Amino acid sequence: MSEPATLQINGTTIDATFAEAFPMKATRLVITAHTLTWAMNAAISLTGFATSVIGCGCEAGIERTLAAAETPDGRPGVTVLLFAVSSKELAKQIERRVGQCVLTCPTTAVYGGIDPETSRAPLSDRASLGSGLRFFGDGWQISKMLGDTRYWRVPVMDGEFVCAETALTVKAVGGGNLILLARDIDAALAAAEAAVAAMRRLPNVVMPFPGGVVRSGSKVGSKYRGASASTNDAFCPTLTGLSARSELSAEVGCVLEIVIDGLTDADVGAAMSAGIGAAVGLGRAAGLLRISAGNYGGKLGPYHFHLHSLAAGASAGFDGSHA
Amino acid sequence: MSLRITLRVTTPPGFRVDASALLPAPLAAMSTAEIERIVLPAGNDRCNVGDVFDVSRSEASAESDAPHTGATLVIENAAPWLDRVGARMMDGHLLVHGSTGDYSGFQMAGGVLHIEGDAGHFTACEMRGGRLTVTGHSGDFAAGALAGDMEGMTGGTLTIHGNAGARLADRMRRGLVLVGGNAGDFAASRLVAGTVGIAGQPGAHYAYGMRRGTLLLSQRPTHLPPTFTEGGRGFDVFWALLVRSLADEIAPFSQWRTASLPTRYAGDLAVDGRGEILVVS
Repeated sequence: MSEPATLQINGTTIDATFAEAFPMKATRLVITAHTLTWAMNAAISLTGFATSVIGCGCEAGIERTLAAAETPDGRPGVTVLLFAVSSKELAKQIERRVGQCVLTCPTTAVYGGIDPETSRAPLSDRASLGSGLRFFGDGWQISKMLGDTRYWRVPVMDGEFVCAETALTVKAVGGGNLILLARDIDAALAAAEAAVAAMRRLPNVVMPFPGGVVRSGSKVGSKYRGASASTNDAFCPTLTGLSARSELSAEVGCVLEIVIDGLTDADVGAAMSAGIGAAVGLGRAAGLLRISAGNYGGKLGPYHFHLHSLAAGASAGFDGSHA
Repeated sequence: MSLRITLRVTTPPGFRVDASALLPAPLAAMSTAEIERIVLPAGNDRCNVGDVFDVSRSEASAESDAPHTGATLVIENAAPWLDRVGARMMDGHLLVHGSTGDYSGFQMAGGVLHIEGDAGHFTACEMRGGRLTVTGHSGDFAAGALAGDMEGMTGGTLTIHGNAGARLADRMRRGLVLVGGNAGDFAASRLVAGTVGIAGQPGAHYAYGMRRGTLLLSQRPTHLPPTFTEGGRGFDVFWALLVRSLADEIAPFSQWRTASLPTRYAGDLAVDGRGEILVVS
């Protein structure tokens, strides 16, 4: 793909590069509760320690809140998205996290959130949800088929924990990313927060790191045996004059990354585009100098999100220039 | 456009006829002459479709005559000598004007069977899927099992607008049965699982030997089985799911609201004891 060497929007340079993303398996869970507060408590707990598949087993985040009219049982709810590298690992993470974080949370119920009729992501398989958790009922549990869905009713101390037996999973996309290069910490945080806020308004995506932002961007491999990933020295401002791989100029004082997982590549692309739009809205005047992305040369991941293409959809209303 | 085949009874044969060959999908692939040559067993007798029915085919616009896509078979002037209507039906729509005999929808696995009249005994017996509606009354053993078989209905929805006979949903394992009127003795007896709703009064010995499943009663029964106990509270979420799943069914079930929680009784304690009777009144 031929791209101009540099693209500037509102004074911020958009690198002629691309984010490289990978196939993942994902699902959406709908958590409901007596009040939104308790549904959110369960969702926060379930999506905790789920920033990276490298050390957490899955990547997860809260997608959005649901009004009572939108949920299967007419109570307020929250949707969460979970991503893992395989169906087996995803199923394991779902069962563990729902068992420890939703089953335990007062008044909650949990349902699969992938609608096979409307899902644009290719369907994968069904992961166990209630079919394993039901054994907590110690023989008192009851199953009930309503329509095409089997539910489990597990007696607990506040009544019944109700959950669907399985959750549909889909073939999804993980690892879309934006790297924001700013003049200082304040500028980097402001740009990252604006970008994440814009992305969170879109469906089908989550940004799994704390606040949606990661400072410890990584490269593949390490000088140490046994470490599969290590710090991305090319973007560390303290190594500007030391690392031969450094991609930073002297004026860059802080770099932050946003990782995006989505149900489809279109969802990831839309989120990246929205993030770029929000960040360049602040522009160079606010200290955002460049936007770049991480890739592995294009040889590992089948999904390539070219920043210039994405920025084209996000640059309306700003002064742009090609060089 | 959808294909509509109409079989109008013109000459009743004078004996009971096995109508299980009259299914929408197979007949849709036949010409009128081929349909007329179909042989219908009738015990030691038999007859051709053409001997009994006037056969016609038409293309109906999906929006007007036929509310469904795909093949629709209409049987007009049906009478109780027609047994096994819709038996082992897999798909399509079978509309019956008039009453049917025994075994309507026997082992039906899919599609829609709508009977504008009464149905005999063993309606939806061992039904596995699809939707069967009887606008009148049904005889005994609806949604039950054949004698000696272990499982009654295992899927689908049976709706009886009128009364149901004895042994309603005997040994039923899965699916939904709704009765707009009263039910005979031993309703939901030996229920393995599934949901049975009775808008009127159940007869004697209802829920006898009920292992699991849900019996919905729209009226407070005259007595409760002695082997059922107070079923406690805390089933609000399940009730909400159940009520929502009944929203498109017949009244009074479709009119129930999540806010008014029914009284729950658990049993039958003589067997597994994980069944429940929900009294909504």
